Amino acid sequence: MTTGVAPAAAASRVPARRPLLNARRLTDVLSHAYIWLCLIVFVLPFLALLGYSFTGPGGTRPAQNFAYVVTSFGDNLLWSLKISALTLIINVVVSLPAAYAIVRHSFPGKRLLFSVLTLPLYVPGAVIGISLVLTYNFTYHLTTSMWGLVLAMALGTFPLMLTPLVVALKDLPVVFEEAAECLGATKWQTYRRIVLPLIGPGLSAGLLLCFIIVFNEYLVTLFVHPPGLTTAPLRVFNQIRTAGLSPTTAALAVTMQVISFAAVLLFFRLFGTRHLKGTYLL
Amino acid sequence: MSAEAGSLAPLLPATLHVPRRRERAARVRTLALLAPAILLALLFLYYPLVFILQMSFTEGSSFLSPGGPISTTENYVTILNRYLPNVFVTLQLAFLATAVDLVFGFPFAYILVRKVRYRTLVRGLMVFPMFGALYIAFGMRFILLPGGPATPILQALGIASTDALFSLPSVVFAMSIFTFPFMVLNIGTALSNVDPTLEEAAACLGARPWQTFARILLPLTRAGLVAGALTVFGWSIGTFAEPLLLGSINEQRALAWTVYQRGVVQTDYGLSTAMGTVLLIIAFVVTYLSLRYSRGALVE
Repeated sequence: MTTGVAPAAAASRVPARRPLLNARRLTDVLSHAYIWLCLIVFVLPFLALLGYSFTGPGGTRPAQNFAYVVTSFGDNLLWSLKISALTLIINVVVSLPAAYAIVRHSFPGKRLLFSVLTLPLYVPGAVIGISLVLTYNFTYHLTTSMWGLVLAMALGTFPLMLTPLVVALKDLPVVFEEAAECLGATKWQTYRRIVLPLIGPGLSAGLLLCFIIVFNEYLVTLFVHPPGLTTAPLRVFNQIRTAGLSPTTAALAVTMQVISFAAVLLFFRLFGTRHLKGTYLL
Repeated sequence: MSAEAGSLAPLLPATLHVPRRRERAARVRTLALLAPAILLALLFLYYPLVFILQMSFTEGSSFLSPGGPISTTENYVTILNRYLPNVFVTLQLAFLATAVDLVFGFPFAYILVRKVRYRTLVRGLMVFPMFGALYIAFGMRFILLPGGPATPILQALGIASTDALFSLPSVVFAMSIFTFPFMVLNIGTALSNVDPTLEEAAACLGARPWQTFARILLPLTRAGLVAGALTVFGWSIGTFAEPLLLGSINEQRALAWTVYQRGVVQTDYGLSTAMGTVLLIIAFVVTYLSLRYSRGALVE
């Protein structure tokens, strides 16, 4: 700014010539430009859908498209929320004790067990889908129940809950628990009043990761969804395949992403990004 | 020392008795805590995988026919004879997406770690691709559609809209956007462990930037690069929505989609599960390699 206002004065004060654009500045500017270019590319598909959802057959009518989402796709959104909520509950019930045992107890083959438990993350969705739909059909008889879908989602995402919990518990010094026990607290009291509040952020990180994945999951859902139950991402997928692109489908996709992003922003606001370290999200 | 140990010997059984029982109780408690997770993984991942492995050695849908399963290795022979192009396309797509991520991800991670102060903002925006490949593919399909927002640009470049839409590059582009954050995460972790003074020292000693890159940065971040590349490759193997929405007939042969077509639509369980097994084996090999390279020290 000062250089723009009084270049002569600046030049007289600083004897050495300092060009506005030397090599170092140029690389800096280019670096930031590169970051922003990449970020724009990341958000571009979303922005395109956002723009598309604001168009209609007769000019621009965003209100109608989003009203359509609530009325016509409302069921799908509700199913998505319900499946996500149930999955999150199962994930917490499964992962909390497991993470505690992995960090606080010593037993042989711990590393192997952790690999065995986190392996679902690396199995392609289509393989999880085909294996589950066949076992549901012929062994478990879960094809018509919503619990089949919920358990499939839980299997695919509980490692995302386990990992931040393990990280959080490792960061929590064991002295707090020892102190509580010395003061006469039972195991359960220690767990509920000391451990749980202190690993809260880690737990929330797991909840966030699982929510994002389950809420937007369409692939395993495509395989194992019971008849008559269509989650919102699956509805998006089906709409594109059968009806092609339409502004209302775009509006549904935008709604899903906005809800997911709101969850991320809420988490960042409450806990910052620190607790997502060591997880699969940043 | 040895005399002391000898004098303690009669006491040992008595002192060890109680801890051993307590140890057993602790074992039981450990197992009880781990049981739900192990059960979930066993019942809904490992058993189904064994199930499809068995099924892949039976003919068609005979696994469940009243006459009993007809054992055959025909499914794998069929894959070798007729579906090798599908395997190749899948590998090709994953390979290209990984390469794009590596080339664009390294500078991104470097700048992010060394120069950017608004990192929270970048992290926030980088979450968008993680919401799912489906939305990315949907958005890109709309952008590239004839008459879509990209039409003027494509016209200026002299590319027909349909050529751009249903093509290999658009599939690879969508796939690499989806996996880019994982690549940046892996490289960024490795880079933040490299002391910046090393680069300054190299520059002081007269190294050109590309020399610093090739002889300092690259060797020191190799583990992160390999881990990131393998992770991305492993995730890209199962690509589904991108080839379907953005690819031509060629890219639509990707394995995951063929598994769905064969298994759920045409109920040829034998062939479908055999393809699933092939996909699984590729993914496991890649995962095994990546776990060997990555920060596996989380548990110990």
